[in-house]
Amino acid sequence: MVISEDARTAIDAEIRKYPQRRGALLPALHIVQKELGHVAPETARELAEIFEIKPVDVMEVVSFYNMFYAEPQGRHHVHVCTNLPCSLRGARGLMRKIEAHLEIDAGETTKDGRITLGHEECLGACAYAPMMRIDETYHENLDLEEAKRILDELE
Amino acid sequence: MGLQAPYVTGYLTEHFADDAYATLDGYKARGGYRAAEKALREMSPDDVVELMKSSGLQGRGGAGFSAGMKWSFMPKDSDKPKYLVCNADESEPGSFKDRILLERGPHQVLDGILIGAWATGSEKTFVYVRGEYAEPAACLQRAIDECYAAGVLGENVLGSGFAHDVIITRGAGAYICGEETGLLESLEGKKGQPRKKPPFPAQYGAFGMPSTVNNVETFSHVPHIVENGADWFRGFGTEKSPGNVIFGVSGHVMRPGLYELPMGTRLDEIVFEHAGGVPDGRKVKGVIPGGVSMPILPAGQLDVRMANEFLRERKTMLGTGGVMVMDETTCMVRTACVITYFFRDESCGQCTQCREGTGWLNKICNRIERGAGTLEDLDVLADVAGKMEGQTICAFADAAAWPVQGLLRHFRGDFEEHVRLGKCPFPESFEL
Amino acid sequence: MPNITVDGQELEVEKGRTILQALDDAGLLMNGVDVPHYCWHPKLPIDGSCRLCQVEVEGIPKLQIACNTPVQDGMVVHTTTDRVRAAREGVMELLLVNHPLDCPICDQAGECKLQDYAFEYGISASRTREPRRALKKSVDLGPTILFDQERCILCRRCVRFCREIPGTGELGVFNRGDHSVIETFPGTELDNPYSMNVADICPVGALTTKDFRFKIRVWFLEDVPGVCTGCSNGCNVYLGVANNKVYRYVPRRNDQVNDTWLCDAGRMSYKKIGAEDRLRGPLVRCDDGVLREATLENAVAVAAERLRRLVDAKGAGVVAVVASAHATDQDLAMLRRLVDAVGIDTVGVAVIVGEGDALLIKPEKAANAAGARARGFGDLGPVLERLRGGGVEALLCLGHDLLHESLLGGAGPLEGLDSVVVLDTHRSELERVADVVLPARHAAEKHGTLTNHAGLSQHVQPAVEPAFQAWSEGELLARLGAALELDGFDGSFDPLAEGDA
Repeated sequence: MVISEDARTAIDAEIRKYPQRRGALLPALHIVQKELGHVAPETARELAEIFEIKPVDVMEVVSFYNMFYAEPQGRHHVHVCTNLPCSLRGARGLMRKIEAHLEIDAGETTKDGRITLGHEECLGACAYAPMMRIDETYHENLDLEEAKRILDELE
Repeated sequence: MGLQAPYVTGYLTEHFADDAYATLDGYKARGGYRAAEKALREMSPDDVVELMKSSGLQGRGGAGFSAGMKWSFMPKDSDKPKYLVCNADESEPGSFKDRILLERGPHQVLDGILIGAWATGSEKTFVYVRGEYAEPAACLQRAIDECYAAGVLGENVLGSGFAHDVIITRGAGAYICGEETGLLESLEGKKGQPRKKPPFPAQYGAFGMPSTVNNVETFSHVPHIVENGADWFRGFGTEKSPGNVIFGVSGHVMRPGLYELPMGTRLDEIVFEHAGGVPDGRKVKGVIPGGVSMPILPAGQLDVRMANEFLRERKTMLGTGGVMVMDETTCMVRTACVITYFFRDESCGQCTQCREGTGWLNKICNRIERGAGTLEDLDVLADVAGKMEGQTICAFADAAAWPVQGLLRHFRGDFEEHVRLGKCPFPESFEL
Repeated sequence: MPNITVDGQELEVEKGRTILQALDDAGLLMNGVDVPHYCWHPKLPIDGSCRLCQVEVEGIPKLQIACNTPVQDGMVVHTTTDRVRAAREGVMELLLVNHPLDCPICDQAGECKLQDYAFEYGISASRTREPRRALKKSVDLGPTILFDQERCILCRRCVRFCREIPGTGELGVFNRGDHSVIETFPGTELDNPYSMNVADICPVGALTTKDFRFKIRVWFLEDVPGVCTGCSNGCNVYLGVANNKVYRYVPRRNDQVNDTWLCDAGRMSYKKIGAEDRLRGPLVRCDDGVLREATLENAVAVAAERLRRLVDAKGAGVVAVVASAHATDQDLAMLRRLVDAVGIDTVGVAVIVGEGDALLIKPEKAANAAGARARGFGDLGPVLERLRGGGVEALLCLGHDLLHESLLGGAGPLEGLDSVVVLDTHRSELERVADVVLPARHAAEKHGTLTNHAGLSQHVQPAVEPAFQAWSEGELLARLGAALELDGFDGSFDPLAEGDA
């Protein structure tokens, strides 16, 4: 069993909120992803059993959404918004410098497994650009020094 | 970090600077939930629907459809459970107004939801919050918890005998889940692929039950309309587009931020008076009025009043009121690259025109930007964009085509220069 | 019943049907009224994503997809307007933006709906200058199917098929936008009894069968209508014939029998026609005990002589006849005439019974058990008893299903028999005990009818001519009857003659 008892309890609580079982699949994926970091085939199989669907149905959903991952990830997700308003205020230049600082390209994970870096589409922080999302937290009105400081503090 | 309040406030956001407004006590102290009580105790569901209709409230999620009309589509006699869905998937680039409404006015949203629930006979509301909005979702959840504890939600809303539940469901990063039926599919635990219409959500919605989907801001207006009446509401804005709207201004301006202003406010007033104009003494080159889906307007057309009836004359629309200002250093081909990449990334992939068209548009723009484009490419761009319109399951393909058409319409010169020079003629433009 | 008008032609249609269904019901779809389509399939749920079937409906400003527009009384539909033409051109051009130029190496060429519709409805020159997306080219999807992700136009028919028809749902569409790809769950295969149908319904060469890969170009094939003989369902097929050889079966639509489907086992049963172990000529057991090639005249004469001698000496009661459930109604009618003329009572039909399913596959693993039973060849039980018990001295056996473990269980009990005459298409253990072996024709090599489990009689016709010696059972039995000097037997057999079943 890859999915823990605690996670299963949380998933059951979600299932009770929806008129159809499958409505809780996205909440369940969030729970499972938080616990395990990504959705491996075994995890997908267990979820398929819980939701009475096929494993391929679970993987379809995982592959469709940006926030679910089928592959192992770094401990922290660092996403820099590079959509239009942010780009107008230098987000892409900032991204390049972050890439250089972390010594990886966007889409890659640092060798120590600390950070997976990525581009992100509009995060609803257009007036506070450039910005990045690290896991559940927004870091807005960034400059390079601030960004570096925040990144270096991540464990 | 919490969001600041809008720079200019109105009836929606006037109390946002007060942290307490996001709490039940704070909201009630400012007259909150009086509207819900009024609706539940003094008005019939039909009364509420009629009120919404006569107020002329247009949906604030981008499509601008009459909220009252939408509510009236819900079947009156149905043994099926009915659901409301609050669309909090705000993902339109340039839009960040729903975020502040959730963070600093969550009870206002719930107030509107309760009124809508009563009007449509809905037993439950699903608030679909985009996955990345962890903080706004948390704020709303706190408000929901307070409501349950105080009997504002649950078996007996405000002691009226009406029962209503609200749950939050988080998205997981897909812009297409902001499309009404894409949202419903995602809510049901599937990929957010929009549904063929008909049937419409009022016949077949969330989990197959009659449903109505409304935007966060739309719900936020509702308690004010119930409290003050349709005439009061029509006192703001224009005849065809009444009420206030929250504009989000970003890009090359002194004061990027949120501005609650009446519908019909002039765009140049928003950009220059409120947002302080372009910094460093530069000039405006173009402004996108309503989120990246809406065609751009050139500097010479900023006198337009921000309401659909006027914007349509200029071949653009209000959308979500996301005003993006671009100054004279901006290369419009790079802008096209950024925008077409976004649509290519976010297409759900069902319809041929959208799936292949968004990819093709992006590839052509990238090639022109690199300096490998030809004049023929401009015709192909326009033609492909034209072939994407009006032919797909949902309006995403249209939304992907319009910005390209707008950029070609007003900034064809930028594209032609790229072709002629074999590289970008705007060395100072934002980095791609 | 609603009336609609399509391109000026009035149609009475069933309520609740879509425009495309109504055209299909009337037999007009792509046969008088052209509405090209990819994702729609008459037997699968509606998808609505390819957008090719858009038509103009008077009174509705936007073009409507014919596959999802329910008919209304008085609806007026136009399929040949400029707007429709432009929409089709648009879809075709966009599909060809990423589709690889594989035609020269693609099995689908010649029966490819992308080729056909591009030619018919597309533009003649592509405007794209962008590199096409690079994906996996030869995915081993499972035991029967190869998948080329680049060729896929994402009509999703295969995904819907697996979910709806066998219900196994192995396939899914992963990712979104122009990164969408069709995949199986990691570590799983496309593996169900109907898997090869996905190659039929795939409009392009994305899904192809391993069996047919690179064998022959389809434009060399003649599609001969026929019936699968794998079980008693009698699925309609086209035999793909070239060079006097059957290269494949593909399903032929029959809404009463098999819709548009064919099971994999049945589809592969074409291999039996040209198999190595076909009997290639008459054989006779010589005095030295060796089975040798003989002429038909000689073999029939030997068989007749042995049977007459035995019947004259001991009566018809010592003869048993086992009919084949693979023979045609006409073959079996001739057998019945022979059996009646000689007066043989111990008769039955050998049928192998296996697993069936709720879809197409029937437990009886032969095409014409019903035809045999209708002509008095019933349960084999009494025949088996007598064969084992020793009361039988001669056996006329059609086919070799008799030997199956569930029936006689081998040729052992036949060793002591005085005479064994075998009519069969393929070699078997019966050769060990047979005195005469006469080579028979497969259903693909003769005229006749086969009666399926539901009593439906379906025609077969010769698709190939055997390159060796083989005759239909009816003809062999007619000659045997003549050689036995039975009344009414002049040695002729005409399966096409009326009343001959």
